[in-house]
This record gives sequence, structure tokens and C-alpha cells, in this order.
Amino acid sequence: MSSVARPEFDPELKAGLAVVGGVFPPTITPDLIAFMRRSYASPPIENTLRGRAITRSEHTIAGHRGEPIQVSVLRPTGAGSPRPGIVFVHSGGLMFGDRFSGADLVLDWVDNLGAVLVAVEYRLAPEFPDPFPREDCYAALEWAATTAEQLGIRHDRLMVAGASSGGGLAAGMALAARDRGGPALCGQVLDYPMLDDRGVTASTGQFDGVGVWDRVSNETGWSALLGEARGGPDVSPYAAPARATNLSGLPPAFIDVGAAEIFRDEAIAYADGLWAAGGDAELHVWSGGFHAFDIFAPHTVVARGMVRTRDTWVEKILAD
Amino acid sequence: MQELLGRISALDPQASLGLRVIACFDELIIGNVNTRGLLSAAASLSGCNAGYRHDLPPRSLRVSPRGEVVASDDGPPTPGSCSAITAEGLTVWIERDGEPHSNDAIVLERLALAVRVRLGGGRREIDGRRDLGLLLDPAVPIESRRLAAARLNLVPTARYRVIAAPLFAVWDEHPSGAEDVVATPYGSIHALVVPHDHAPVPARPIGTGPATDVDHLHRSFRTAVVALRLCDPEVAPSVLADDYGGLVGLLADLPLDSDLPDVDSLDAIMSHTWGSTTVDALVRTSSVRQAARTAGVHHSTLQTRLDTIIAELGYDPLDNGIGRTRFGLASLVWRLRNSRVLDLPAPTRTSSPTPLR
Repeated sequence: MSSVARPEFDPELKAGLAVVGGVFPPTITPDLIAFMRRSYASPPIENTLRGRAITRSEHTIAGHRGEPIQVSVLRPTGAGSPRPGIVFVHSGGLMFGDRFSGADLVLDWVDNLGAVLVAVEYRLAPEFPDPFPREDCYAALEWAATTAEQLGIRHDRLMVAGASSGGGLAAGMALAARDRGGPALCGQVLDYPMLDDRGVTASTGQFDGVGVWDRVSNETGWSALLGEARGGPDVSPYAAPARATNLSGLPPAFIDVGAAEIFRDEAIAYADGLWAAGGDAELHVWSGGFHAFDIFAPHTVVARGMVRTRDTWVEKILAD
Repeated sequence: MQELLGRISALDPQASLGLRVIACFDELIIGNVNTRGLLSAAASLSGCNAGYRHDLPPRSLRVSPRGEVVASDDGPPTPGSCSAITAEGLTVWIERDGEPHSNDAIVLERLALAVRVRLGGGRREIDGRRDLGLLLDPAVPIESRRLAAARLNLVPTARYRVIAAPLFAVWDEHPSGAEDVVATPYGSIHALVVPHDHAPVPARPIGTGPATDVDHLHRSFRTAVVALRLCDPEVAPSVLADDYGGLVGLLADLPLDSDLPDVDSLDAIMSHTWGSTTVDALVRTSSVRQAARTAGVHHSTLQTRLDTIIAELGYDPLDNGIGRTRFGLASLVWRLRNSRVLDLPAPTRTSSPTPLR
């Protein structure tokens, strides 16, 4: 029994949990990774793309250590001139999901804004611990920038975006691009990002065994990525961007998060850090929201508000 | 959410999707969600547009599975292309093209109820509960509970047990009997009534309450929930209240936040890797040697642990006076306080994993 005070879930979202709990248990321990890989696998991409004027091409590129990884490029059918580009990093707690997990939400950017989406199949922990996931993502970013002309992507309008673990990896890409003199980015979309391996925030302690992605799940994910190093002094900010001590010189950030999830406080802190460093950040905290509620319950009032608000910001940054 | 329901049944073909639909609408009713939200949920669950039309005052609304309002010609649903329920000047429908899906009927039925409640239906509907929920609530007058029992075809002279299970329980065999989801302080619980002499039900995790007459089934349910919360996915996936005599019934009445120093002092012991198995072995046996055998360790190892436990608790759990009782009771309450069984879904049946799609 938990006597921890915590914000209530929004009633529509709480109702959704009766269904969501069947595929995404609140508490994910290492023995559930195999189950999660089946339950969180994305539906066939052909189904997701049906009815959309989007052309998909598959590419094998050099990931971390030059090893091959898969990348999908999704472009508006018949786009002639160079278009804005987005490197998209999927969700799944660093341990599951694939490059199309949650993609239906970002495909609207291809449909409505004519953007070109580059979805990266980064390798997953624990089989591929740090730095594999983040360096696979960074390799995809560099590939998108250096191949921009063939891909029909505008050099001056390249963005990174990701949700949950993908949001953390996207923030890490922006940090690495700054430090390594990599591709210039026009924005970073960080949806309820997984930023901090230390698990010390108040919101982390508020959600045990409820909702989606609780404290134990988060420990499972970070341990899969970092092993013994989790919470210790030697964690790279490219893996856990909350570790970054310098948040200046980063592209404009859009950050959204639920008020009823463990990532609430680290998302707020990251936005705060960006502002303190003189950066550009827009932060939205959605009342009653559990983790990734836009993916699991897109029909609800809160989710529609979240998606609409995010799309508006992306349009501001990317649209012609 | 239709896709999520599809995933659940792909992962576990025996999963009770209907119960999840019911639990979903129960929460929507409790949360006083408006008609658009109700239609959004119905549309999302069924994967097709959902709508309602009300005669007085005249109002209608159609909503897509994405929760967007769909332009409406204000007309009634087209026969053949949708399922509808009409009663007392209210029509609700889902716009299914082709054959109905297996959950359409339950989605529609729950939607109709939820919309009526939201629009200010009768008193009993505002209560929002169904017969089993009424029967298992001791606050409901006994005459109403007896009527509910009669509607459920429960015989006043017979004895029954209530089985409590989470929505995600895995059932190797699902007995027939009155069943529903019932709101509890621990969330929606799946309650099932079986005859008192029913064979043990092969499902996990479940708690089985004691046998009672119809008037006291609320008691069996409360006790079954405690038994359920004593389940452990690894060690005890199914708990019979009978195995604990009256003890579990006693715990059903105990406020868990009550001040119990004996329980608090177990926290430190349970934080050891050996804590849980050692405490369990000491509860179930009466000597260091027996406990060592049960825990699968050398008796000197167990003696060392026992010394640690005595130092921590300030009494000897093997003491034949009051010590054993204190220790046994404290360990049960500790297990209840730290129960995770309602949090952790049984991933899926362990045999023959089903590929997705």
C-alpha cells in the first residue's frame, strides 16, 4: 500500500489504464523485457502508412563502430525541392520498441508540413549498452546531414525529435552535435524525455506500481543501459542529458511531460537549465497525464491537447 | 485502444477483454467524464465512429476513434452499418461496417449506461453499479443485496465463495458464475462467485474467500481481496483464505496505516536478501533446524540470521509465548503493506508464447 501523495490521473486517462495495463505493465523488471519486446512491437508500417501520401525507403548505414544499422526515410510522395528533415528516435525504455514505435504521431509532420522523417533503428540495451544506442543515433544524425542532398533534406532545417528514451537520446544528440561541431540543428522535440539515471527527483518517488513506467521500470531501463555505472559519477551527458553541466548553445527545445509521471521533475529541470543558460525552451506539463499518454490514449482531451500543442510548435520551426 | 485490445488478445488469447472494457467505463463514470469523452472511449475501443442522439433536449454527437468530432447530419444511424441501442429517448451507436466485432456489444452496452448516467439518469444508474457490485457492498441495505443476488441466480439457502483476481490474471480454466469488475480501494478487481465446494480454480494470481451464505458474500469478497494481496507471483500465485483460518478475515478489518511497530521493525529485516525466505521459514516452522531445512540453508546460517532478527525486533520469533503470534501476524501485515500483486501483471501464460499477429 502506498501512502505517497501524488497527483491523480485524469479520469479519461485513468479509464484508459484499464486497457493499457494489459500491454504495458506499470512495473517492468528485467524478466519482463522479452514480454515487452513482443507487446511494444510497432504494428506493420504498411498499415500505419496506409492512406498517407508518404514514400518509404530503407537504408543500411554505419552505426556505432561502423557496424550496420537500419534507417527508414519517410518523405512526402512527390516532394520536389529540399524539405525540412527530422531525425526521429523511438520510445521503449532503451530496451524495446523499434524505429516505428509511436511513429503515427510524427507522420503528421510529413503529411502536413512536408518534412522528411529519418527513423533510426538504434540498437537496444541490455544487449547493446551505452554507448551503442546514443552513438547509433548520432551516426544517423550525421548520415542525414551528410546525405542531405540525396535525401532531399534542407541543411538549414534539420531537427531531432524523440519520445521517452528517444527524447533523452534526442537531447543527447543535440548536446553531442554542439560539442563535436556536428550538424546544426533548428530544434529539438523532447517528449516526456528520459534524462536522468539517478532517480532522485520527487516525481520519481511518487509513482510506484501505478500508471506507465514507474520507478522500478526506470531503474530497469537505466541499469540495462549503464549497468553498474547507473547513478555513479561516470555517466555521459549524451546518455543521461540531466548530467550535462553546460546547457548553453543548444537549439530551441520543445519539452512536454505529464504531471502524473516520474519524468515530470527532470523534464521541468531540463527546461529550467536551458533557460538559465540563456536558451530557448518551451515547456508544457499536462495535468493528470501518465507517461506517454498520447501514444496509449490519443483519443482523450489531454492527449489531443498535447499533440496539437506540439504540432503547432513543430510547424513554427519547420514549416515553409 | 482497439489496437491495444488486439495486442492483449494476441499476447493472451484467454484474456477477458470484456472486463477491461467494463473497467474502462466504470472509471469514466466515476470520473464524471462528459459525453464526448465517453464517445471517444467507445470509438477508440471499437476502432470506429461512435455517436449518440438525445430527443429532449435535442442533441447529437459523433466522435472518431481519435476523439475528433465528426460532422453529423443529425440523422439517426444508418441501419446495417452500425449497432445501436435505443431507450427512453436516447440512442447510442457505433458505426461498424461489416460484421460486428466480439466486443462491440459490451462497448455499446457500457456506452449506453455511461451516457444515461452523464445525462442524469435514474438514481440507481447514478450509483453506476451492477448487481454483483451491490451484492458485495455491506453498505447496501440487505433487501437490495438479496434482490441483486436473486437477479444473479444465487440461491438464498446455498453457500458460495467469492474469488478476487486482478484484470490481468491468467486463467487456465474460467468457471462460470456471477462475475464483474468491482471498484475497491485497490482499483478495479475482478470478482467471481462460485459454489462453496467448487474445486480450486487454476488461475493466477487469485485470492479465494471463505464460504458464506448470500447475506455475507461481501465478507467473503473482502477476505478474498486480502488473500489476493497476499499472493506472490513466484511463491504463492493463489491464496485460499481458508488456509489462514480466521486470520485473513481479521486483516480485512485492519486499517493498514495503523500504527504497528512490530510491522515497521520488519522493514529492516526484509531489506536483507535473505529476509523474505527466512521470515517465511520461521513463521511456518517451530525450530531453527526445521526453519533451516525449509529455507534451504545450514542451521548455523539460520541461527546467525535469527540472532540478527532477535536483535532487530527485540523479541524471539520462535518464543512459544506471545513471540510467535506477534511475528506471524506482523509478517502477514508486512506482506499486505508491501504487496505488489495488483501492480504486476502476469506477463502471459508461460506455455506456448503467442506471436504477435
